[in-house]
Amino acid sequence: MIEMSYENKILQLKKMLGSKKEKVVEKPTFVKPPKPSYLENWVKCGLNVIENDFGVVFKREVMYSNDYKHGLYELGSLYDAIDKWENHRISHPFSLSFDDDILFFDTETTGLKGVGTHIFLIGVLEAKTDGFLLTQYVLADPSNEAAFLFESKFWQTQKTIITYNGKSFDWPQVETRWTLHRNTLPKLTNHKQIDLLHSSKRIWKNNLEKMKLTTVEEEKLGFHRKGDIPGFLAPIIYADALKSGQADTLIKVLYHNEWDLLSLVTLYIHSTNLLIETRVEEAATTLTNVGKWYGDLKHKGESERFLSKVTEHFEGPETGLAYYYLAIEQKRNGQFVEAAIHFEYAIPHLDIKKQIKAYEQLAIVYEHQLKTFEKAIRCALDGLKLIENATCFNASQKIKLIEQWEKRIQRLENKIIS
Amino acid sequence: MQLNKKKSVDELVQSWKNDSDIKKNILHIETIEEKPAHFASFPEKLHPSIKRALIERGISQLYTHQRDAFDYASEGQSFTAVTPTASGKSLCYHLPVLQQILQDSSSRAIYLFPTKALAQDQKTDLNNLIESMDEEILSYTYDGDTSPAIRQKIRKAGHIVMTNPDMLHSGILPHHTKWVSLFENLKYIVIDELHTYKGVFGSHVAHVIRRLKRICEFYGSKPIFICTSATIKNPKELAEKLTNTTHELISNSGAPVGKKTFLFYNPPIVHPTFGVRRSSVLEVRDLATELYKAGIQTIVFAKSRVRVEMLVTYLKELTKKKIQDESIRGYRGGYLPTERRAIEKGLRDGSIQIVVSTNALELGVDIGQLQACIMTGYPGNIASAWQQAGRAGRRQDSALIIYVAGATALDQYVVNHPKYLLGSSPEEALINPENILILMEHLKCASFELPFSMTDVYGEFEVQELLAFLEEEGVLLKTSSNWHWMSDRFPAHEISLRSSAQENVVIIDWSIQGSTKVIGEMDTYSAMTLLHEEAIYLHQGIQYQVEKLDWEEKKAFVREVDVDYFTDANLAVELKVLSEDKSKPYPSAQLGYGDVSLLAIPTIFKKIRFNTHENIGSGKIHIPPLEMHTNSTWLSFENLENWSEDVLTDALTGAAYAIGSFVPLFIQCDRKDLSVVPQVKAIHNEKPTLFIYDSYPGGIGLSEKVYDILDSIIEESIQHVDICPCENGCPSCIGVENNLQNGKEKVTKLLSFLLNEMK
Repeated sequence: MIEMSYENKILQLKKMLGSKKEKVVEKPTFVKPPKPSYLENWVKCGLNVIENDFGVVFKREVMYSNDYKHGLYELGSLYDAIDKWENHRISHPFSLSFDDDILFFDTETTGLKGVGTHIFLIGVLEAKTDGFLLTQYVLADPSNEAAFLFESKFWQTQKTIITYNGKSFDWPQVETRWTLHRNTLPKLTNHKQIDLLHSSKRIWKNNLEKMKLTTVEEEKLGFHRKGDIPGFLAPIIYADALKSGQADTLIKVLYHNEWDLLSLVTLYIHSTNLLIETRVEEAATTLTNVGKWYGDLKHKGESERFLSKVTEHFEGPETGLAYYYLAIEQKRNGQFVEAAIHFEYAIPHLDIKKQIKAYEQLAIVYEHQLKTFEKAIRCALDGLKLIENATCFNASQKIKLIEQWEKRIQRLENKIIS
Repeated sequence: MQLNKKKSVDELVQSWKNDSDIKKNILHIETIEEKPAHFASFPEKLHPSIKRALIERGISQLYTHQRDAFDYASEGQSFTAVTPTASGKSLCYHLPVLQQILQDSSSRAIYLFPTKALAQDQKTDLNNLIESMDEEILSYTYDGDTSPAIRQKIRKAGHIVMTNPDMLHSGILPHHTKWVSLFENLKYIVIDELHTYKGVFGSHVAHVIRRLKRICEFYGSKPIFICTSATIKNPKELAEKLTNTTHELISNSGAPVGKKTFLFYNPPIVHPTFGVRRSSVLEVRDLATELYKAGIQTIVFAKSRVRVEMLVTYLKELTKKKIQDESIRGYRGGYLPTERRAIEKGLRDGSIQIVVSTNALELGVDIGQLQACIMTGYPGNIASAWQQAGRAGRRQDSALIIYVAGATALDQYVVNHPKYLLGSSPEEALINPENILILMEHLKCASFELPFSMTDVYGEFEVQELLAFLEEEGVLLKTSSNWHWMSDRFPAHEISLRSSAQENVVIIDWSIQGSTKVIGEMDTYSAMTLLHEEAIYLHQGIQYQVEKLDWEEKKAFVREVDVDYFTDANLAVELKVLSEDKSKPYPSAQLGYGDVSLLAIPTIFKKIRFNTHENIGSGKIHIPPLEMHTNSTWLSFENLENWSEDVLTDALTGAAYAIGSFVPLFIQCDRKDLSVVPQVKAIHNEKPTLFIYDSYPGGIGLSEKVYDILDSIIEESIQHVDICPCENGCPSCIGVENNLQNGKEKVTKLLSFLLNEMK
């Protein structure tokens, strides 16, 4: 029976296909779309209607006091965090100053990519003098999109936008939607962006398995959601709200978005603490990651501060990477004796690729800087043995590596003889 | 060991004429003499930088067709240029495009090539030209291999974007807001190798172009189309249908043509009673060996992937004793890009002596100068045959083309009628953008890309009712003025332009534990008969056995093996008529055309030994049946003289075989685009029936053509079966598996009866 109906459907479709009749195509000028029929229904669910030159948009506002506690932190602690950066005096891509016009930002969309994906909810959270103001804009229907985008005010003054995965998702989506209305809307402003997914990945690498915001909330921010709508249902819920005219379930998506935004504030506060204070109650991996990050940013003092915290307060396997990065830092600074000692400490706790790297560094330091060729040759031989037994290289990589290392050993042997 | 002595093409042909063993197999030799060039002067307004660059390359005047192209483009007229291989066709589009960019540097152009490989190749060519112009013109390829780092730059600043329809379909159009500067300033859309856009693929691409035009309109541009095509019967019609735009046609090439020698070679009969000839694959192996020893760089074309791999395996025997010798290589779809790039390079620099290819190399990939070309069997249509022949002697020198006939009816027909290939006009290329299934899929994509208004049309189609249907399906939302996409699906990923099956099966080599790797991929339809469990899959001459086929996940796990056989699989097919759109009654027969539903069930596979080609075993295939809705022409008739069901079955099977072989003589399509299936008792009328259907969901208009010309096809088939030298049926006429007494006579009788009915 199902088969038949499918076949019938195709026959039906063929009949629907018409041929184009010649028509004069008039150039579209902007016509304000009519209001959707379900305005009142949605208002009953707690949304306000705003009308501008381009149509209507729904809006919801919630004011939070500075001492409102979301998980471990009060929202007002954001000011302490900024204060810490102001006093820290180290430039960091995630630092904020009191000059920044901060806007926490998150969207909900009808899909994952492409021009057919609509943003249907824009949520922003900003600091006001007496607390924090959450504002959510809801797309009334796709024909009222220009009104929705206009109301977001992203065309006004430059802000510092703080997001979770916003750099590669939410913001490009805003740009896409804006492009479609480029003849109607004022030009989109170029805003400064801070993406907390990026910082979370740097801080909690090897520590958190998943970087989903809800995981971070539960594991790090002391916040547990109750009755949350999973994000993947949002597209269906929105489409259903448009078709049915009922917004009851849609409101739950707004709560979901609201939690996301509140967590962005506390995540920023928490990350700042981790990036500035060397707390030993944190996991060794976190401190190591932060130290490595400062190292990559060429702040060697900060890097050493974090890494030595690990080597001083932890023992065994947890210290391997810290010693390793510390040694790299020290070698770079010309502290060769220290570097050699720390590479040696690190080796037993490293994965095989890093072990090989460490032996290589050691062999270089012993050969060229410390001129202790016997030690150098011992490291080179240990490294070569690891390479020969390693399963992480393909055949041609292996051959190349072995060749390199044998050359090194040969050279060292010659040096020892002469 | 015998010393290899280098010979020229002409010397080799002469030595064959004196060799009685070879000579008796050569049925015909035809030499086409060279043809001089026709020139025109540079257009007056041609930009001095372009002029300088051309003169630097030794070009001081244009071929007439290049000049015509420039003039049409200057007038803003879309056009299609039909040009043989190596006629400087790329200047037909480079010149107007470069001229436009030099006049207005904001101008943009899209170059569309049927494959990634072609785009990559043309890029080198174009960049050399731009370099000698010494102008700031940016051209890039944009495909799956393009690194994310430069994508941004290409989108914003690329003057010329070279890509393929698949990338346009799923990588560019659904993300058009990232390409604003391209779409706002798009002046030219170049479609190279137009003739490849036929059948299902062409029908899909016709929609991709309609979507592209829709986006251009949104951004306010109105690009001119430039198409180039190999010789087909209907280039203008194809271009107009593909682009939904009026075209002028340039069909007189001014380019010179080099001397070409064609050999028509028929393998000797080894079993006179059954008319069995020596395998063409073995014969090609021997001929290619001669060419290899003579030091003549050769391309061998084979019709299927399996044959390519078999030939590579055989020919590699020649170089077995040399270490790391790469002078013999295979080339086909399904190889990974890096592998293909290396082969193309080897061909150009001469380190590869023989390349064995499927039709992937029919296209204009620039592989430099090959001296000879061997066709293992007729490629299915004249245009393809000439494309393959054009591979030899591109640069005007003497070339050798050897056509080696296989056992099939069509192959035998061609080798016995050289005039068919050398003299007749090539076939039509058909596309059918009206295929409702293809149209619906692309209508979804178009809706995703830009909402339709209540008054919008899509290309030449009135689609409001179809949009309403999509709303019911739940992917569109109707607002006051528009149909908006409202689903989290990404419709472009749900269609593949290339094959009836929408998903490819990934082939994974798990020979080495812990280092499994992907070695290729295949469309699902082919996979049913080539990647079933226990199938022997050949890749670069290495045999793999399929150990596990995960049909749900579309993965085939293979292991390297060393066996002396290959596998060959069968499909059983059942057809049901859903609606009859046309019909013609005859006294004791009836012709019909309409919608049918088809059930294809893979049944058994056979193991066939190399060299002897004997059957050494078989097994069942466990793959779920494939259902399809398509179009078909059918011919039903009353059983004659109360033939028993067995006799009828065999006669009908033989007749279907004979007819199926000849369809490509009349309609340009891939052999597999159209199928002929006999049903002794058709479901709809319980009569013996021959179905000739489009092998693609929804149909692409091929079987509808057959409806009009079936009598001619049957007439040709009868003649051919008649003159076939075998006694009782062979692969060249009614098929090899026929165990009918007096098979040929019965088949001829049946066909003559049908022909007589239809008069």
